[in-house]
Amino acid sequence: MANSHCIDVSDVTVFLGRKKIIDCAAFTAEAGKFTVVVGPNGSGKTTLLRAMAGDLPFTGRISLNGTPIDRMKPWQMAAARAILPQATSLSFPFTVREIVKLGVIAGRTGAGAARDLPDLALDLVDLAGFGGRFYQELSGGEQQRVQLARVLCQVWQPVLDGQPRFLFLDEPVSSLDIKHQLIIMRIARDFAERGGGVVAILHDLNLTAMYGDKVVIMNRGHTDCVGTPAEVLTDERILRVYDCALKVGAFPAPGTPFVLPHSVLS
Amino acid sequence: MSEALTTKLMERRQTSTRHLADGDRSHLARAVIVILCGCLLASMAFSLTAGASDASALSVLSGLFSASQDSLDAVSLRDRIIVYDIRLPRVILGALIGASLAVSGAVMQGLFRNPLADPGIVGVSAGAGLGAVSMIVLGGTALAPMIAFFGSYALPLAAFAGALSFTAILYRVATRRGQTSIATMLLAGIALGAMAGAYMGILVYVADDRQLRDLTFWGLGSLAGASWIKIAAAGPFIIVSLLASPFLAQGLNGLALGEASAGHLGIPVQRLKYVAIVTVAAATGASVAVSGGIGFVGIVVPHLLRIVIGPDHRYLLPAAALLGACMLLLADTVSRTIVAPSELPIGIVTAAVGAPFFLWILLRRRGILDL
Repeated sequence: MANSHCIDVSDVTVFLGRKKIIDCAAFTAEAGKFTVVVGPNGSGKTTLLRAMAGDLPFTGRISLNGTPIDRMKPWQMAAARAILPQATSLSFPFTVREIVKLGVIAGRTGAGAARDLPDLALDLVDLAGFGGRFYQELSGGEQQRVQLARVLCQVWQPVLDGQPRFLFLDEPVSSLDIKHQLIIMRIARDFAERGGGVVAILHDLNLTAMYGDKVVIMNRGHTDCVGTPAEVLTDERILRVYDCALKVGAFPAPGTPFVLPHSVLS
Repeated sequence: MSEALTTKLMERRQTSTRHLADGDRSHLARAVIVILCGCLLASMAFSLTAGASDASALSVLSGLFSASQDSLDAVSLRDRIIVYDIRLPRVILGALIGASLAVSGAVMQGLFRNPLADPGIVGVSAGAGLGAVSMIVLGGTALAPMIAFFGSYALPLAAFAGALSFTAILYRVATRRGQTSIATMLLAGIALGAMAGAYMGILVYVADDRQLRDLTFWGLGSLAGASWIKIAAAGPFIIVSLLASPFLAQGLNGLALGEASAGHLGIPVQRLKYVAIVTVAAATGASVAVSGGIGFVGIVVPHLLRIVIGPDHRYLLPAAALLGACMLLLADTVSRTIVAPSELPIGIVTAAVGAPFFLWILLRRRGILDL
């Protein structure tokens, strides 16, 4: 293989109980690229991400930087990729700082940088000064950003010892307002531009088109199409996969307000 | 000189307040652990000198350190016996058991991701009790080979086996795909407790008079009859589990995020769970074997500490060991002196204080069951 700096998923099939959830999924998420997985509810996006995280047994092959993940130890995986789950509830009253620090410890970042990392990460997700708050007392969107800060601490440098590291984000913007959606997407984009790899599950096709380098569209457990946003997001495919007749690039009737993320002044 | 010291202390205080506002409680936690070390030494000294006998603090302490026996008169010889063979083993055993009860409570709460999990409440102590009662009653007959082979370790081993199997059953029943249902856990605990009670009832029927007396006193929970032999039998189990607990700390912290996220942080979750279960079973089994069921220490101590220093297990577990030891020594001193020259089983003291405290936790955090 010419370039092993990627996550390679080939012929992956996953059963949950007797039901086949993922059927021969295949795609590659290269380092340096922002790969977005889209698809209707129940199409297997989260299951695929869980298989890639090493949480589920699967048949086929998933490799991370050239090594099959079933041959990696938990701590080796933890050093190479971090995962943001959809939502996390805590069993004990930890402070925000204590949660973010869990990521620092997992990522083996070296003692010198480690002390400032929680503050830098909280700053990045627009939660500066939240370190002393109790996680359980935050809103859903704030909790999600705290978890993102923890995950970022785990893979703070997108490339470590010449090996790229990966971020898996499962609906990272699902409970965020528009400002924070854009902040989070820019963080992910930036991580990819600095040489890391990002795999994110999104529902928002506009954000997907705006930030994604590569789109994987899932339909009933298989990867229906993999390509650039322009290749994947077509009227025909959206109708077939989502069962919803939408027109790509059409403007609404005059007088109807619409707000696209693309219009943000940066 | 003293001025410099004052400024330094002030500075430290300011740093620690700033850290607290930042959500960093590690400095506070370390300070609390140091203070608790002092408290433990003080309560050991206090327990050593208080009691039904008038053996006084000074003569006792001088008795401890006097080397030659020849110079001792009858009174100090008596005090020496009281201290060496009665109070000292009791203080050491009390500290060990208090530490093991509090640590096993804290580890179990971390493992089940639930602040209400406690070996006494969810039936693990009952399992240990069943093992111990089996050994007491059947030790002369069916289980005689065990006693022949393991000697004084047979009783704690039987309690360990009981605690281990009950914890394993509990975990199997209450946890599905890494999620522990709190309601299922508490109900399974009731069923396990009832089951252990029934089998113990059968064993009581076949017990003879001497065994019955042993069983009654043992069942209430007591440190009376503490001896160097008991320390030698239960001590290794307790010490091993206390020493193992710090290695679980970072894993239990990760587990607070959920089993999947803990795994993503690089924690070997399956191994963590096995080690935690064996640790809890060894600590609970050994304490139950020598002192019967002493309830509520495992729930009260970690809960109080979480309020003060937070739930970080790296600090919570050692602090729980120290505070558990202090609290049990105090409870034991109360139980020895309140109705002197007779004494109250310590389980009554801890339940009298701990049960209302438990209700208070429920009242304050009624939403805890919705977690």
